[in-house]
Amino acid sequence: MPPVIHLFGFVSDDFLGRVLVTPSDQTIGRLAEQLVSWGWNPEALDRYRVTNEAGAVLDPALTIAQAGLSSGDLFTVHRG
Amino acid sequence: MALRRDDWLDVARKVDWTYRYVDEREVFPESMSGTPWFPQQAWKEWNEVYRTTYREYVRNQRAKDDAVMGARSALSKIGIFEQLDSGWMQLVKFHQGTFALAEYAAVVAEQRMARFGRDSAWRTMATLGALDETRHGQIPLLLGHDMLPFDGNFDWTHKAYHTNEWVMIAARHLFDDMFLAASAVDLAVQLNFVFETGFTNIQFMAMAAMADGASHHLFEKALASIQTDEARHGQIGHPVLRTLIENGAKEHAQYLVDKMWWRSWRLFLALTGSPTDYLVPLSARRRSFKEFMQEWVIEQFTKNIAEFSLSRPWFWDLFVEELEYAHHSFQLGLYSYRTTLWFDVAMPDEQERRWLSEKYPSWNDTYAPIWDKLERRWQHQGEGSTLEYALPAVCNLCQLPTLFLRPGKNTACTREVGGRKYLFCSEPCRWIFDQEFSRFAGHTSVIDRIMAGVTPGNLPDLHEWMGLKAPTETGKDLRRGLDRWRLEPVPKI
Repeated sequence: MPPVIHLFGFVSDDFLGRVLVTPSDQTIGRLAEQLVSWGWNPEALDRYRVTNEAGAVLDPALTIAQAGLSSGDLFTVHRG
Repeated sequence: MALRRDDWLDVARKVDWTYRYVDEREVFPESMSGTPWFPQQAWKEWNEVYRTTYREYVRNQRAKDDAVMGARSALSKIGIFEQLDSGWMQLVKFHQGTFALAEYAAVVAEQRMARFGRDSAWRTMATLGALDETRHGQIPLLLGHDMLPFDGNFDWTHKAYHTNEWVMIAARHLFDDMFLAASAVDLAVQLNFVFETGFTNIQFMAMAAMADGASHHLFEKALASIQTDEARHGQIGHPVLRTLIENGAKEHAQYLVDKMWWRSWRLFLALTGSPTDYLVPLSARRRSFKEFMQEWVIEQFTKNIAEFSLSRPWFWDLFVEELEYAHHSFQLGLYSYRTTLWFDVAMPDEQERRWLSEKYPSWNDTYAPIWDKLERRWQHQGEGSTLEYALPAVCNLCQLPTLFLRPGKNTACTREVGGRKYLFCSEPCRWIFDQEFSRFAGHTSVIDRIMAGVTPGNLPDLHEWMGLKAPTETGKDLRRGLDRWRLEPVPKI
């Protein structure tokens, strides 16, 4: 079983950072969808990009661990 | 021949002497008196601008108390509470809970200066300050008690600081740092100079003006009466700051000012910003929170720091930027997590939205669509669809949820130290944490505790842990209340 970690997720058009508890083999794309579904605007997430704290863009196909995120890290989902 | 006041006052104020049997450092240890430690000679010129004798103090305080008690007695006969606006009542409940016992903590702070302040005139002023703060704790406790028959949640006036409610954890974290775990020097700069001469104007003067508009004249009298005390003992900060700067400790002074400006801003945007722009009845809104901040806080503070050739805090641009949006994001957070509060929260109505758009040009584009959506959700799916169910990310310094982002700008950041990762809502919170790592690192936020399994992660148990009885005691939408089923007994299998 992959370790379960927690991350802090932010959506660029939202007002709040949320805690996500997730297995580390989850993909970045799935993580972004999960976060957006909790927000005030959960409708279709057509185009988006995910960045880490340093601003580097993360490939949605990579797992959280492959993308270099670990427990306690933050990421931002930018729409459009 | 009787001496005139000015002939004897200095003899009573300035009673320092040279210690023969103990070292001055033993009488005023650095840990309690403050860093950097200067010999008494350096403090000799410590002078307050407005001098008060004990007799004058007692006479003035008695008159102030008479005014408040007179208003209480006269107004209680005419059913004042029944006539108050429901949003205003929530604001008062919020204010009472967060300020009443904080004032008692300020008694400890003033008493520390009354013992460890480095000049006798400072110690005299602080003694009067401690008496002031005792009164500032007692007045809201009394008024809160009077309001209990109208709303049982006014027991939070006394109870709030004894709970683990998240707003109160944030408030306690700040006041522990600012009031209870600070030396006399740090207190004078943090509490008297920054907090009292900088920020309390908005809590007491601006809110007194709004209380007048809301026809809550007893609250208005009480706030105005408190602020006149603050103005007197707040002057302790100036001569302490002057002594620090004249003796080469400008850098330390600047740090204390910067740190406490940011920490006070975080608290006030939460405790004053959101209520001012969302709970005060429209007819009583004299100004927006931003306008009050500009007039009552920024102008005064800019003048004060210029007097000491101090710089504006390094994060000034972010602070000014946040005036436009931070408390609006915070209001959305309060609304979404209202079941974890002891007061009700308002969704702005149409007229209020127009007012907010006029006062904050970007509000309509940024926040109106979110409120519109929440409103539609309530209409179509009921109360439950307007609540937030995810755990909020909480700042490890200010202990508030990381609510201070807006489209295109996320100020949150992290720091890893000793194998533990810390989250911050903003760069200034991280900077303060870095400066005093050992002071703050051991504290765990609500979220840290939930993640560690120390605090319950499910809402019913979390409510209990926070001291809230759901759903009767927990916050509701101010105008819509609860979905009816929430009050029905939970069916048993």
